[in-house]
Amino acid sequence: MELSDNSSKIKIIVSGLIPFAFVIIMMAYIFGPGADLLDLGIPLPEITIEKVDFHDSEIRATVRNTGPIPVEISMADVNDRIQPAAVEPDRFLERFESALVRIPFEWNEAEPYIIGITIGDGTRFEKEIEAAAPALEPTIDLAIFFAIIGTYVGIIPIMIGLLWLPFIKKISKQKFHFFLALTAGLLFFLAIDSIEEAVDVSNESLAGSFNGILLIATVIVLSFLGLLYSGNKLVSRANSSKLAKPVAIALMISIGIGLHNFGEGLAIGASVGLGSVAFSTFLIVGFALHNTTEGIAIAAPMSRGKLMIRKLAAMGMIAGAPAIFGAWLGGFVYSPFTSIIFLSIGAGAIFQVIIVILKWIRDEGDSTLSSASVASGFAIGMLVMYLTSILI
Amino acid sequence: MILVIFVIFGISIIMIFPAISEAQSEQKTFVTHSGAVVTTSGEVLDPLYTVSSVEFDPDEYLRNFEYGRLSVSETGQTIRDYTIIAEDDKIQEISPGIFYNVWTFNGTVPGPTIRATEGDLVRVHFINNGSKEHTIHFHGIHPAGMDGVFEPVGGNGGQFIYEFEAGPVGVHPYHCHVMPLEEHIVHGLYGVFIVDPKEKRSPADEMVMVLNGLDTDFDTENNFYAVNTIPFYYQHHPIQINTNELIRVYVVNMVEFDPINNLHLHGNLYKYYPTGTDLVPSFYTDMITLSQTERGIMEFEYEYPGKYLFHAHKVEFSEKGWVGIFLVKDNPDKNSQKVEYGT
Repeated sequence: MELSDNSSKIKIIVSGLIPFAFVIIMMAYIFGPGADLLDLGIPLPEITIEKVDFHDSEIRATVRNTGPIPVEISMADVNDRIQPAAVEPDRFLERFESALVRIPFEWNEAEPYIIGITIGDGTRFEKEIEAAAPALEPTIDLAIFFAIIGTYVGIIPIMIGLLWLPFIKKISKQKFHFFLALTAGLLFFLAIDSIEEAVDVSNESLAGSFNGILLIATVIVLSFLGLLYSGNKLVSRANSSKLAKPVAIALMISIGIGLHNFGEGLAIGASVGLGSVAFSTFLIVGFALHNTTEGIAIAAPMSRGKLMIRKLAAMGMIAGAPAIFGAWLGGFVYSPFTSIIFLSIGAGAIFQVIIVILKWIRDEGDSTLSSASVASGFAIGMLVMYLTSILI
Repeated sequence: MILVIFVIFGISIIMIFPAISEAQSEQKTFVTHSGAVVTTSGEVLDPLYTVSSVEFDPDEYLRNFEYGRLSVSETGQTIRDYTIIAEDDKIQEISPGIFYNVWTFNGTVPGPTIRATEGDLVRVHFINNGSKEHTIHFHGIHPAGMDGVFEPVGGNGGQFIYEFEAGPVGVHPYHCHVMPLEEHIVHGLYGVFIVDPKEKRSPADEMVMVLNGLDTDFDTENNFYAVNTIPFYYQHHPIQINTNELIRVYVVNMVEFDPINNLHLHGNLYKYYPTGTDLVPSFYTDMITLSQTERGIMEFEYEYPGKYLFHAHKVEFSEKGWVGIFLVKDNPDKNSQKVEYGT
C-alpha cells in the first residue's frame, strides 16, 4: 500500500516534470549555443537622455543605456554644436547602466536647448529642453514653498470638499446612491487621467526598452489586485471590530486619492523644476479646484456612519498630504520611471476603490447598478471632472 | 500588498539613481573652448584634447603629392602611371571614440592627391577590392569612355585603366560615380587631381585641403565637418608655416548635404584662383564660398608670426570640426621650405 502510494506520487512528479524538460529542450534549441533560428538582425544600440539639469555654467545630462548591447559615449553637443564634456563615472555603459555627462556651457535662462549625445558608432541621440531653468537646489525655503503649494492643492480643497458631508448625511438613500455613484465617476475619471499622464511621461522620457505601456498596465493590475486583497481584509476585519465599514471604505478612497495626488504633486514639482512657471501656475489652480470634488468622494461613504470629525480630518490628510511629498520628489529628484510607477499605482488603487463603492451600492439594495441615481451619478461625476480638468 | 508597493518602490529607486561605481579618486582637469576649467573624476569627452588612435594622418596628407611612375612615349609625351585601389570595408576612428565605415581610395579619405603637368598622359590603373561596384570619375577634359560613369568596375578585384591627357590646368576633384552617388561620395570615395601648367607656378609651400563632412548616423546630415577628414585636427595640430613665404593651398569642397561651404582666413587675405584654370587671381579676399566640388587655389604670405585661425565662416561647420590653425614661425631665411615641382 505504502509502496503504491509512493510510486503514484513519483508518477505525479514525473508527469509534471516531463513537459517542463521538453520546455527546457525547446528553449535550448531556440536560444542555445549554435542556434541560429532567432538570428533576426543586428542589435542596435540605444541610449536615453533621461534628465537634463542646468547648473551654474554647466549642463548635466543623465544618460542611460537602454538598448540591448553595451555602448560607449563619445561626444556631447549643445544645439548640435560639439562641446567638450566630462562623463562620470566613465563612458562605457552596460545595459541599463547610466552616466552623468557634464557639459560646461554658458546657457541662458528660459531659452530652449537640444542636448545631443553621440555614441561610438556615430549615432546621435538628443533631448529637447523647452526652457532652461536653474536646477532646483534642495533648500529649506524651497521645501517650504512646495509644502505650501502641496497644502493648497491637496489638503485644503479636500477639506473644503468634506464640508459637503452634513448635506449628504441628510439625504435619502437614492440620493445617497447618486452621490456614491458620483464618487465612482469622479474616481474613474481620475484613474484615466493618471494613466494618460503616465503614458505621456513614458512617451516623452522613457526608453522603448522599458515597454512603458506594459509597465503601466502591469503596475496598475498589481496595485489593483494587491489593494483588492488587502481592502477586503480590512473591510472584513472592520465588520468584527469597531472600525465601521464606511470608515474602511473611506480610508481606501483616501489612500487611492492620496496616491493620485502624489502624482499631481510630482507634476507640479517637476514643472516648477523645469521652469515652466505659467504651466505650473495652471496646474496649481486646476488641481486645487479639481480636488474639492475629491472631498465629496471621501465624504459620501462616511456620511452613513457616525460623524467622526477627527477620522474625517485624518482621511483628508491621507488623501491630500501626498501632494506635498509629490511636489518635493518631483522638484528635487524627478525621474520619469518613478513618476510612471506612482501614477500607475494611483490608477490601480482608484480602480479598486470603484469596485468597492459599486459593491457597496449593490449591497445596499441597488443590485443591477442601473438605477437612475447610479447612472446619472456616475455620468455627472465624470462630467464634473472633465469640466474642471479643462481648467488645467 | 504593501510589500508589493515596497518592492516596486525599491526597484524604481534603484532605477533612478545611477549605479554607484567604484570610487575614482583620480581627478582630471580640462579646459573648454571658452576657457572654463572643469575638474572631473570621470572621463573627458573632447575631440580637441583627447588623444585618438586615428589611422589617417592629416599632416601627411596635407603636403603629399603623387606624381606617378614616369615614362616617356615614342612621341616624347610624358606618361604618368598611378595605381588606385578602392575598398569599402574599413572601420576608422574619425574622431576620438567614434568609429565610422569609410570607403577609401588607397586606404584613405580623401584618396591620394595625384598630380600631373598639362599635356602629360595620365594612366590610372584602377582596382576595385570593395564589395560593391566603384569607378573613378575625373573632373577635367577626357574622352567619353574614360569618364567613370558608364563603365562600372565590379568589386572583389575588378579592374579598369583610365587613360587621358592631363588638362585643363587647375585643381580638380575625382570621385566614384556609381549610384546611389551621394552614398559613394559621403563615405569617402574622392580625392584631388592637380594639373600643373607647363610654365610652372612660382615656388611655394604647397598644401591640399579637402573640405569634407561625415554623416555617421546616416540621416543625410553631417555629424562632423573637417578639413582633411579629421574634425578639429589642425586646431589640435597647427599647420606650421614660415613668415614671408608664399603659401599655396589647393582647396576642394567635397561636402554633401549642405548647399555651401566656405573658407575664412584670419589676419590675412589671399589671392584666389577659382578652379585654378586661370593664372591671374580673380579675388583678393579672406573669404570664399564654395558649392559642391567647387575648388580653387589660394595664395598668401604671413608677415607676422603667431597663431592664425582658418575655418568655415558657416560657423556651424567650424563648431563641428572644420577649423584649423596656421602656426606662423618667424623665418628670416625666406623661401626656405618651398617644395619642388615633380619632374
